[in-house]
Amino acid sequence: MAAQAPSAPRKLFREEAQTGAINCPACGGPIELHGFGAVEQVNCPYCGSELAPEDSGDLQVVQAAQRARRESALPLHARCTLQGDNGPEDYEVIGIMWRECRVDGVVYPWQEFLLYNPYLGYRYLMFTMTDGSWALGQTLDGAPQLETGFGHRKVTFAKEKYKHFQTSVAIVSYVEGEFPWQVRVGDQAVAHDFIKPPISMSIEEAATEDGQDVNFTKMRHIDGAEVWKAFKLPGQPPRTSGVAMIQPNPYKKGRAITWILLAVMLVAWLVAAIAYVDGRSNKVVFSETGQTVTDTISQEIEIGTKGELTTLEFDFKASGLSNAWAYAEVMLISQDTEKAVGFGATAEEWHGVSGGESWREGDQSPTVTVGKVPGGTYLLQIAPSAGQQGSAANTPPTNLRMAYTLRENVVLGRYIVLPFFIILGFPIFFWLLARIYEGRRWSNSDYVSSSS
Amino acid sequence: MQEQPQTHCPNCGAPAPFRGTAVSLVCEYCNSTIVRRGVDITLIGQVSALVDNGSPIILGSRGRFKGTPFEVAGRLQVAYGRGSWNEWFVNFADGTTGWLADAQGQFAITRPKNQQVVAGRVPPYANIAVNSTIVIDGIPAVVVDRRAATYKGAEGILPFEAEPGMLFHGVDLRGHKGEFFSLDYGTNPNHNSPIPYLGEAIKLADVGLHPLRQFKGWRRPAPPAAAGRAPGA
Repeated sequence: MAAQAPSAPRKLFREEAQTGAINCPACGGPIELHGFGAVEQVNCPYCGSELAPEDSGDLQVVQAAQRARRESALPLHARCTLQGDNGPEDYEVIGIMWRECRVDGVVYPWQEFLLYNPYLGYRYLMFTMTDGSWALGQTLDGAPQLETGFGHRKVTFAKEKYKHFQTSVAIVSYVEGEFPWQVRVGDQAVAHDFIKPPISMSIEEAATEDGQDVNFTKMRHIDGAEVWKAFKLPGQPPRTSGVAMIQPNPYKKGRAITWILLAVMLVAWLVAAIAYVDGRSNKVVFSETGQTVTDTISQEIEIGTKGELTTLEFDFKASGLSNAWAYAEVMLISQDTEKAVGFGATAEEWHGVSGGESWREGDQSPTVTVGKVPGGTYLLQIAPSAGQQGSAANTPPTNLRMAYTLRENVVLGRYIVLPFFIILGFPIFFWLLARIYEGRRWSNSDYVSSSS
Repeated sequence: MQEQPQTHCPNCGAPAPFRGTAVSLVCEYCNSTIVRRGVDITLIGQVSALVDNGSPIILGSRGRFKGTPFEVAGRLQVAYGRGSWNEWFVNFADGTTGWLADAQGQFAITRPKNQQVVAGRVPPYANIAVNSTIVIDGIPAVVVDRRAATYKGAEGILPFEAEPGMLFHGVDLRGHKGEFFSLDYGTNPNHNSPIPYLGEAIKLADVGLHPLRQFKGWRRPAPPAAAGRAPGA
């Protein structure tokens, strides 16, 4: 019944899709076509003429041009291997576009590399020429949700909040290579950038003659070194400067780590402090009680171990002071080096009545600590003096009795307290650095004066 | 499943394997478009102007969407002023059908729903603005694309008669959780009763689509493990 069918069905597109090589119909330059059938527009790298592939495979000149070729950070047709969600992914640069925006009369240009893999689609690699930063983008499978209410404009996507950074008009200034859509020099798009470093959400609106679309792109900061490695490029990536929009804040990096480190350091400090206190002998090297103001001391004593430093503590106790003071001048003269260490301690007691309130002040048993005293034999000299309030200013109190105690190898408080504050200072220091870094980032945003 | 009567291409006599509710078929031997109305088979002519737009999908590609296997049975190619995209007609193993949208490397699988789901609850095409939010079937979604496009060509089978050159109006929306919706207003943009297609954005690897087309200089992704042969087989 049925007529004889041709021997084989056509089986459309079962054959391998081929790359192409053609000469530019405008300037004759060689053009390689690597975008397969997906390409809607080709811009000759040499003359910039806008060409459209016809169904026959030929290129038709849409708009002839004679622009100079620009040197982009990456060449057309370079291939790279990027880390994707399910392992390494290969991409090829098939199109290059330069865009720019103007803020307060200043032009900020960037280069956009269209990366293509026929099975994975397109990715966008952006190189910001003003600060040398890179970002890798991909169309979002979904729509971010604009937060309603007061305060800073935000969008939410997949439970993450992104803060509005800037809104600008991006203008195409240069086109080279293949694109699956039409791109023309002068094309404008309004781009809204929302950030949560190292990620940004870009909302870009564009209109053409037969419709409008809005594109949601998720961008991720990528180090120039990572780009260089992905493309296996020799040498170094362009130098960076300043803080890019979604550059990760190095001082915020591991906030948890800062706290864990702080806890570890505090524990270490506590252990060290206990060990330090425990290891002090507090040995009394000299002690004398019941001294009057006319008694002076001059006595040879042994302090510490020769060749080691020690911390001395001098306790001065004065009893019988009443609106009076007592002063002990202490001199330690090394019998080995003849170097002297001198210090003094003042005990005092003041009291009275003013405004119907009685008051009392003054320390009658001061302590003086002297650090880094070399061990050895010393001549200890103590010369006391004393005085009273009022008319008897130069007369020492009659019932003044003093006691001196000198200890070696004592606890030096600052050895314990200083490290504690230094440890506590670290998180504050990093918090400050992080704030300064954010300030630099946001100084390029639409919100120059505030970062919150 | 109901036994389908054997049909043949009125032009070349080759088998014309209409399946299920398919209405239109492009003969893969002679490129004729054939339309089935009831038991009648009508030859529309050799009008399909399908172009190679670089899609990695081919007729016969199989995958699995939310646990249900499917096979790509047809393609509708749609063109607008600055580009083209593909709507692949898919048959699910449970007898239902759907569409695998393929636009510039972005993919989504949708299923047609009754017009009552949106009738009167969405604005007419002419009043829809991109980046506005519309609630579709209880889910808020953002309008990401709104344009008039023409049917350019087709291959395989389709569930309706798609006349090349026909201008239709479509709106695409994306939800906040990856949902993807299309509203097909057809040829008339001034009504508020489009056909809704509801589904979600996908990646080809996620649905294990295989086999895929071969591209010079590119390694074809390995078939999904579940669909592969047993070791040593």
